[in-house]
Amino acid sequence: MFRIWRVLLLVLSLAILSYARSSTGSSVLVVLDPSLSKDNYSIFFKGLEEQGYELTFRAPKDVAPAIIQDGIASFAHVILFTPETKTYAKDITPQSLVDLLSQNTNVILALGSKQTPLTSLASEFSLILPPPGTPLISHFPERDTPATVIPIPVSSSSPALTSGLAPVWYSGIPFALGNNPLLVPFLNAPAESFAADTTEDSGADALVDAAEKGGEGLWAGKDMSVVTGFQTVDGGRVLFVGGVELFNDEFAKKEVTKGVRSGNAQFAREMAAWTFQESLVLRIDDSAHHKVNETEPRDKYTTNDRIVYTTHISKYNPATNAWEPFSGLTDVQLEFTMLDPHIRTALPPVPSKPGEYSVTFRVPDRHGVFKFVVDYKRKGWTHLHSSTTVPVVPPRHDEYPRFLSAAWPYYVGAISTSAGFVLFSVLWLAGDDRDQRKKKGVKAE
Amino acid sequence: MLLPWLALLCLSLHVLAAKDSAREQLVQLASKNNGVVRLDEKTYDLLTSPDRDWSAAVHLTALDKRRRCNPCREFDPSWNAVAKAWSTVPRSERDNHFFATLDFDEAPTVFQKLGLASAPVVYVYPAAEGPRRPASGKLAPYKYDFSHGFDAEPLASELSRHTPVPIPYKAPVDWAKWGTFAVILVSGIITLRFISPVLQSRWTWAIGTILTSLVMQSGYMFTRIRGMPYTAGNGQWIAPGFQNQYGQETQVVAMIYGLLAISFLMLTVVAPLQKSPQRQRMQIYLWTAVNLIIFSVLVSLFRTKNRGYPFKLFL
Amino acid sequence: MLAYSLPSDISPSTYVNAASLVRIVALGLISAAAISSRLFAVINFESIIHEFDPWFNYRATKVLASEGFYEFWNWFDPTAWYPLGRVVGGTIYPGLMATSGVIYNLLHALNLPVDIRNICVLLAPGFSALTAWATYMFTKEMKDESAGLLAAAFIGIVPGYISRSVAGSYDNEAIAIFLLMFTFFAWIKALKTGSALFGTVAALFYFYMVAAWGGYAFITNMIPLHAFVLLLMGRYTSRLYVAYCSWYAIGTLSSMQVPFVGFQPVRTSEHMAALGIFGLLQIVAFAQLIRSHVSSKQFQDLLFVSVISAAGLGMAAMVLLTYKGWIAPWTGRFYSLWDTGYAKKYIPIIASVSEHQPTAWPSFFMDLHMLTFLFPFGVLALFRQLRDEHVFVIIYAVMGTYFAGVMVRLMLTLTPCVCVASAVGLSQLIDTFVDPREPDVEQEKEGGDAAPSKQAAKKEKNAAPITGVGAIDDIVSTLSGASSPEKDKSGKTKAGIFGLDTRMVVLFNTAAMLLFFVLHCTWVTSNAYSSPSVVLASTNPDGSQHIIDDFREAYYWLRMNTKEDAVVMSWWDYGYQIAGMADRVTLVDNNTWNNSTRLTAGCAAHIATVGKAMSSPEEIAYPILRKHDVNYVLVIFGGLIGYSGDDINKFLWMVRIAQGVWPDEIQEPNYFTPQGEYRVDDQASKAMRESLMYKMSYYRFAELFGGGQVMDRVRQQQLPKQSPTLDYLDEAFTSENWIVRIYQVKKEDSLGRDLKSANGFAQGKKRKRSKPPVKRRALA
Repeated sequence: MFRIWRVLLLVLSLAILSYARSSTGSSVLVVLDPSLSKDNYSIFFKGLEEQGYELTFRAPKDVAPAIIQDGIASFAHVILFTPETKTYAKDITPQSLVDLLSQNTNVILALGSKQTPLTSLASEFSLILPPPGTPLISHFPERDTPATVIPIPVSSSSPALTSGLAPVWYSGIPFALGNNPLLVPFLNAPAESFAADTTEDSGADALVDAAEKGGEGLWAGKDMSVVTGFQTVDGGRVLFVGGVELFNDEFAKKEVTKGVRSGNAQFAREMAAWTFQESLVLRIDDSAHHKVNETEPRDKYTTNDRIVYTTHISKYNPATNAWEPFSGLTDVQLEFTMLDPHIRTALPPVPSKPGEYSVTFRVPDRHGVFKFVVDYKRKGWTHLHSSTTVPVVPPRHDEYPRFLSAAWPYYVGAISTSAGFVLFSVLWLAGDDRDQRKKKGVKAE
Repeated sequence: MLLPWLALLCLSLHVLAAKDSAREQLVQLASKNNGVVRLDEKTYDLLTSPDRDWSAAVHLTALDKRRRCNPCREFDPSWNAVAKAWSTVPRSERDNHFFATLDFDEAPTVFQKLGLASAPVVYVYPAAEGPRRPASGKLAPYKYDFSHGFDAEPLASELSRHTPVPIPYKAPVDWAKWGTFAVILVSGIITLRFISPVLQSRWTWAIGTILTSLVMQSGYMFTRIRGMPYTAGNGQWIAPGFQNQYGQETQVVAMIYGLLAISFLMLTVVAPLQKSPQRQRMQIYLWTAVNLIIFSVLVSLFRTKNRGYPFKLFL
Repeated sequence: MLAYSLPSDISPSTYVNAASLVRIVALGLISAAAISSRLFAVINFESIIHEFDPWFNYRATKVLASEGFYEFWNWFDPTAWYPLGRVVGGTIYPGLMATSGVIYNLLHALNLPVDIRNICVLLAPGFSALTAWATYMFTKEMKDESAGLLAAAFIGIVPGYISRSVAGSYDNEAIAIFLLMFTFFAWIKALKTGSALFGTVAALFYFYMVAAWGGYAFITNMIPLHAFVLLLMGRYTSRLYVAYCSWYAIGTLSSMQVPFVGFQPVRTSEHMAALGIFGLLQIVAFAQLIRSHVSSKQFQDLLFVSVISAAGLGMAAMVLLTYKGWIAPWTGRFYSLWDTGYAKKYIPIIASVSEHQPTAWPSFFMDLHMLTFLFPFGVLALFRQLRDEHVFVIIYAVMGTYFAGVMVRLMLTLTPCVCVASAVGLSQLIDTFVDPREPDVEQEKEGGDAAPSKQAAKKEKNAAPITGVGAIDDIVSTLSGASSPEKDKSGKTKAGIFGLDTRMVVLFNTAAMLLFFVLHCTWVTSNAYSSPSVVLASTNPDGSQHIIDDFREAYYWLRMNTKEDAVVMSWWDYGYQIAGMADRVTLVDNNTWNNSTRLTAGCAAHIATVGKAMSSPEEIAYPILRKHDVNYVLVIFGGLIGYSGDDINKFLWMVRIAQGVWPDEIQEPNYFTPQGEYRVDDQASKAMRESLMYKMSYYRFAELFGGGQVMDRVRQQQLPKQSPTLDYLDEAFTSENWIVRIYQVKKEDSLGRDLKSANGFAQGKKRKRSKPPVKRRALA
């Protein structure tokens, strides 16, 4: 029954191609805690459905549909809005979620201030959570909302976010970031905010006595993050959100200042776009190499050859749901490595040809098995990696210069000796034979 | 308000002063005993004090006869030689590294502290402070590995990796060797006239050749290279194992080979010259018997070395 | 009078013909014996290439046969020494491959579609027959045909030579010994006849030898040494001059055509002796010339002095050049022959090879049996009539025995000399006792001392009157070589053997010994030297043979189950086999010590890198493995069935070699227990237990014993019940008897964690919650 419904949805979405779509698939599983009602998040979910995603809802304790069926991920994306949930059906465990990511499934994960099974997950992504029950509070700016509900200005540092976004309402926990290069922080806590347990209402006191200790052990300041992305080595993306309220309708409608609606709706939308691999998605279509003024690749190159390396990079365009050649990258590098890079050079885009990047260089004077390596890692963007192995051999026996001016002494020696030999034999044959020994000796030489 | 600072300042100055005095003390100790500091508990702690900005190589040994530590006595000279070599480097560098010797009988507690059961042992303590503090921050003493034997060269080259400048150690010229060589040479030249007939006689060379081949074939080089003992401690003279032998085996086997060779020689060369048929017959039977018996001895000897060997003669 | 009657009505020519016929037949039989006794390996096991190096030679030969010679010459092998690669064409002695390549093409030209493998397998036995023939020729020059036949028979079946030339051991030595003997034969021939032709032949075979085996240096130094000794003995002749000059000039020029040798003949000390003697000969020849023209005594003295001084100057010049570095000093491997402690101290890679250990007497006896004592006797016999060629064998004897004593593998070079010398000796014995003539008894009264004089024999033959006994003398002497008993002018024999029984006794004894020799050789060959260490054989309790085929099992697993370009790391012993059988990329291979003389710094570091990876803990080894793109790691482990040649026993060499490059990261003592024992059980040192090699060897080993006593049958030690765990590697394959274990290197964790904690997480371990990184410093 339920499957048919999904199929229908699929057909529907296929029919309307104008809808943008993720580059990895459109099936989304939303695991929604019973305590949160679906309608509070209607804007966000509607937005996704309008994008052409098929949402499937389940409660954490439901057994079907499983997120992983026989080790195969059943959905392209998973949204976990279960900040407080203590018990899950057994298919949802930290391990299974990591497994999902390794299968290139994308996950949006809402954390809460309570200790839940998924809390241990955060540390695997080198996020450091504050002690349980300590949400983020801030007494600035002056406002009518409780101290835990904070307007956070969006610093549009990441290319995933459109600039000039209105501040977003936020309520939840902050978390510190470990030094893991795969982390992509999107939204940081305000400078004057800090984490404290609000049960006894004196966050200020907490501040004070923390200040006594010079801020030691205080979860405070703009180094804390509240919304952070993480892109695994195999390209799976996961979004950690400190508080699920970020997505709900109330915050989306709420005004930050007079007449200015909060940026929550669009922020959530763009975060989902990044996580579901709509934006900042690149790929290397192909890469080729050949000698200068040749076209076909050699199976091996000779030392000091001049060779051309070309690669094509394209970017996913959600609007047209297609891959388009992309020349926007200016800082791609090519390495020609054997153990260590012997050559590391810029791989600039070719102006005339869209999406083509090309460079010409001289093979080092060193034989061995080399690799063309393109390794492009930028925060937020898909990691590009391509490696082509090619042996570099010394010149063939007939590729060396034949006549060396340096070898004149040898030439002269050889010629003169043979000439002398001929001369001697002639003289010898002419003359009569005495002195056997001498002749033999010379002949032997 | 200012007082604590002053106090601190004085303190630090005091510390520095103390350190310098310690260094001075060590330098004097070293210079007294050409480059080697004789240690006891106190000076040991001084030398390896946690705030040392010098490095030190400590040689823990037991030279006393009663300890019966032959390696110690064997190693001591090369140690002193290296230390002496070090004391020749310019003062500025020299005083940043110390060579010290600690005898078990002078400071047994140190041995206990380091939990040492054997001697000799060489520890190199890197500088714990100052510019020469190792970047890795590893302050654990480095233990010298005697796998290269007790000679001075490997020691010097190995320690040079820890000293501020390489140790200028040069092996002393072995005058005795050269002297004897020269003497032999000269005497040879002088007596050439008299010994030349010996040298020119082919039989001298023949004997030399034969002996060489015999000795070599009976595994002399093996015993020499592996430094095998003459016999096992328990008087057993046949080493177990196929690829193994003792010094005495070499002699016995060489002798057996020699005897067999001689038996052939007798049969071929000497017997025919014998004029009386009876004596000649005697000789031939005798040598044939010898040949046969000795050969069977050899084979049985080989069987003891190589268990799987199926053949045997009379024995 | 005669001890036994000879048919006297046969013309001498008949004797000669019959003799030559017998000789030919004998040679044929000897060759047959030589070949067939080397086929044990094929019969016991199968037609397969043996141990390690042959696998590379085989692979190279296949390239040669399929691609042609020029491609082979320019062959760059990207799968060896990954990622350095190996320029094969320039770094091998192509003689062996070229030989079998030629044979291959020849047979195919004759429409005999023979598989290249079978040619490779059977090359060594084939050449052993040729060796027998060459030895025959050589010994003939020494004494006579009968001695030659004996020598051929000896070399044909003596284990010392068989050990390197059984069917399947497709190594350079297989053809090198033949070339060695033939070069020597040509040299002796040239020396005796003084013909530049034979000198050239010697040079050409020398060239072949240079192209075939690194051991050519032996010839390069033997011949000059011979010439030099002859000079010292005042035996300079124009024959020597011609022979040596023609050999040296042509031989050196041609040897420089081998890419691998290049300019060494003029740049390295190994070859300087030859060059020096060449110069010396010129000087001496010149001096002789002058002397023959000038008579004045003083001038001759002057000349003598000048010759000596010139020689001295030349020597000094060479020393200077060496010192300046124009001439490379002796290479380590050569040097280690003289200073026997050298290798262990400075070139552990060489010392680590078992073939480079010194030789104990049992292996001498094993390889030579009765030749060990016939040999000195033969040398003595050579001393009796000290002709120029005899000097050669004598020098060879001294050198050969010394080298063989220092290194097991040089037993090979000693063997031919031993065969020749003892053949000479034995044939003299037989001559003496076959000779039917009896001396006259009445001579005894005179009792004149009759020391044998060397030319006597020859003189006799000319001077003997052709009457009665004399005629028989001729026949006998033609039959039994030159040594006919001494006589005085009146034609009465002085020395000789009385009676028939004595003859019988000695000859019977000799025959028995020869028989024993044959039995011994057969036994040794079939038992000791015929196992292709690729396939092992063990005997079941019931005595039947049980084949252990783990190596091929594992290599075929690699070939079938891994990507073509997968990189396999193993200790270098198995590099060639992996390349040959599994056809996968290897990091290091046996080329390590084959030409460690010119081992580039890169390679030296490379082998040390592997040593380091094997002897470091996982987390240190892992980055190394990743950097070299290693996909699989292969270890040999004998602990289960007691195969003693496994990696744990070789482990210390890995440590030493690594220590040579990273002295402060890897230290040998750390791998011993505090008591200085080498243990793998629960008392094993920390470094040992954490090393990758240890973990890979004993991973899941305890499970086999199901909680019982975990026993390592090689070390005879009990292992802890708890097997080591691996975080960075996965067990991919373990062969039937656990001899070969292959591990797959994991790829980095997708979350950027280190694999240890990743595994911990996967197994549901909780990690302690961490504090945020402190950004501000507390002001105290």
